[in-house]
Amino acid sequence: MKKSLFDQGYLDEQFCQVEDLQDEASPNFVEEVVTLFFKDSGRLMSNIEQALEKYPRDFNRWDAYMQQLKGSCCSIGASRMKNECMSFRDSCGQGNVEGCMRSFQKVKREHAVLRQKLESYFQLLRQAGPAGAATRPIM
Amino acid sequence: MAPAEEVCGEFPVGMKVLVVDDDPTCLAVLKRMLLECRYDATTCSQATKALTMLRENRRGFDVIISDVHMPDMDGFRLLELVGLEMDLPVIMMSADSRTDIVMKGIKHGACDYLIKPVRMEELKNIWQHVVRKKFNENKEHEYSGSLDDTDRTRPTNNDNEYASSGNDGADGSWKSQKKKRDKDEDDSELESGDPSSTSKKPRVVWSVELHQQFVNAVNHLGIDKAVPKKILELMNVPGLTRENVASHLQKFRLYLKRIAQHHAGIVNPFCPPGSSAKVGSLGGLDLQALAASGQIPPQALAALQDELLGRPTNNLVLPGRDQSALRLAAVKGNKPHGEREIAFGQPIYKCQGNAYAAFPQSSPTAGGMPSFSAWPNNKLGMADSTGTLGSMSNSQNSNIVLHELQQKPDAMLSGTLHSLDVKPSGIVMPSQSLNTFSASEGLSPNQNPLMLPSQSSSFLAAMPPSMKHEPVLANSQPSTSLLGGIDLVNQASTSQPLINTHGGNIPALVNRSSNVIPSQGIDTFQTANNPYLVSQNSMGVGSTQQPGVLKTENSDSLSHSYGYIGGSAPMDSGLLISQSKNTQFGLLQSQAGLTGSWPPLQNVDNYGNNIGLSHLGSSSSSFQSSNVALGKLPDQGRGKNHGFVGKDVKASWIVSRVITGNNFSRSMNNGWLIFHFIFFFLL
Repeated sequence: MKKSLFDQGYLDEQFCQVEDLQDEASPNFVEEVVTLFFKDSGRLMSNIEQALEKYPRDFNRWDAYMQQLKGSCCSIGASRMKNECMSFRDSCGQGNVEGCMRSFQKVKREHAVLRQKLESYFQLLRQAGPAGAATRPIM
Repeated sequence: MAPAEEVCGEFPVGMKVLVVDDDPTCLAVLKRMLLECRYDATTCSQATKALTMLRENRRGFDVIISDVHMPDMDGFRLLELVGLEMDLPVIMMSADSRTDIVMKGIKHGACDYLIKPVRMEELKNIWQHVVRKKFNENKEHEYSGSLDDTDRTRPTNNDNEYASSGNDGADGSWKSQKKKRDKDEDDSELESGDPSSTSKKPRVVWSVELHQQFVNAVNHLGIDKAVPKKILELMNVPGLTRENVASHLQKFRLYLKRIAQHHAGIVNPFCPPGSSAKVGSLGGLDLQALAASGQIPPQALAALQDELLGRPTNNLVLPGRDQSALRLAAVKGNKPHGEREIAFGQPIYKCQGNAYAAFPQSSPTAGGMPSFSAWPNNKLGMADSTGTLGSMSNSQNSNIVLHELQQKPDAMLSGTLHSLDVKPSGIVMPSQSLNTFSASEGLSPNQNPLMLPSQSSSFLAAMPPSMKHEPVLANSQPSTSLLGGIDLVNQASTSQPLINTHGGNIPALVNRSSNVIPSQGIDTFQTANNPYLVSQNSMGVGSTQQPGVLKTENSDSLSHSYGYIGGSAPMDSGLLISQSKNTQFGLLQSQAGLTGSWPPLQNVDNYGNNIGLSHLGSSSSSFQSSNVALGKLPDQGRGKNHGFVGKDVKASWIVSRVITGNNFSRSMNNGWLIFHFIFFFLL
């Protein structure tokens, strides 16, 4: 499954780095970080959503928020989501409100999809046994 | 954990890293990575909290990694502050890889810039920044020769050493700060022991004198064209290496930039005219105050100011005059800039002569750093704006200041500086104000925080009464004074890298051309510039200065004054001020008129320096205030008046010059000088 996640571009090499950090000392590190990510990104996304409504055409503000979200995505290797964040920022740079709205919807979608996939992933890992990061190539 | 000082190629296990980022995901990942590298990692999601942690425990960390975009504080700002205050290597990081942002990071002094996501390999390499910095410090020390030998605890020695060589190691110029920091948590590093701190490496101590020479050289070449090699040649200081100059120049540039930026806030109308003389002294003091504004407790400033101002021509203790000066300083307190803006501005200049006295050497009349900002940034009162001030009074002030400084080795300086928290930007030099400062402002002595080695009561005494008023500030160089001041600060703060150079506190203050230091707009900072001014002319900036010369050299004055002040002893950052010796201020005061004319240094910019070097002339009052501020500064603990003390000779010279400056302009100079000094120390 992990492979598919990578192949489909949901995750990138950074995720591997994060996984590498997991060891006996912190056996659930990856899951912890991912959980943290989703929690924080949820918050950031609602900030953006509010900003999109409350501050129309305030590209700077939108961009700043999205910058934060993008940073988060980078840190765990959420590649597709990061790309959508970047396109959102591009739209901001162009002053394209429509483009921003569309991008943001995509970001939200990617966020939801990723969350789902990672949840399944972790479930599989747990099923695979306490060995840790062993990934069973389950499709 | 192995101390971070594991240089020499060993993988620094246990190196203490502080990570600052508002993104919890990133923090978690980074922390884990750092632990994998076997570093000792601490995370912090708020920049303000991180700063507090750092301030409380300077030696607790070896390197900082900070995000650029944070909600409570800009990452670059944190970078500057850390650089100034703690001189720790800071690595910036961000998902933003735009070249201009990366460039900004470099300009602010970041050791490195990582693009998120940060990989393990990159983190594994960060230890080199720590090691490199240490090596550079050591190397500099070596070059400066014999710096190291002094033992850490050689407080007084420094003064002497400084007096002579300008760079002797006694302590550590900001380079050694780091090391010293470790050693001595308090800033007294400047003088005592700097050299010995941790590594016995000779460090170049950028004493007031030396700094002034540096500033002069830079002014001469032009800030844009100033290259270390040429500066080194111009300075012609034996034992100084190109590397020393290069790093100092970098800091100076950053400082100037900062000042220019911060200047805006500081412009406080310097009180004025009147005790121009005082102002001068105050100026120096103010600087400190200003510088210290951030940190230096008003008391210290006041003390400094007192010292500066209070010292009536000869003795630092200018009681009569100082009062005003002190008062100014005290008053200045009002301008509390928050941190950097040196509140000195206003009160300081009150010095009409007594203000300084008000600054208690011990008691921060003004409340510490009275907003030096009182120094009217530009107004420095330099009444004559050109030279008048500076020349006479400045010299006096500067002398006085210097004396004071000398007297108070480390204590004042170091203390002040240290406390100055001089944020680079905040460097007292209200550069902007400098403009008005019109050279003549001469270093509003007040401004020279450095100058005020609070303790230096004797300092003043040393100065011949006549000198007193010389506006040391040598108004002419508003810009330079800043530089000078800045340097002073640096010196003083040996322990702290800060201030001046660090982070470029010295915004282009070096106005080369005009008095006003920062053409950049530092007008308020005027006073800041002055420090140099003061010294230049007459301040005994080192050996070359002749008393009385102060005034005119506007551009030089900065450097001179600076040098002067610091000459003797690296003024511990803020030491001058901290010393709170009223005497210092008193000097400035001596010329009653001095301070008045001197535009209130007020503009003490972050650095507590009164940016507005409150014109000497009018600034007398302001001067005082600046002094006060200065005086206050020192409390910080650094207490080392390190810088000045050493240079008794010079200082006295300057001081005397300052004192003599009866003229309005003179007072301005003095004040300005002082301001500068202070400034320096603050730095």
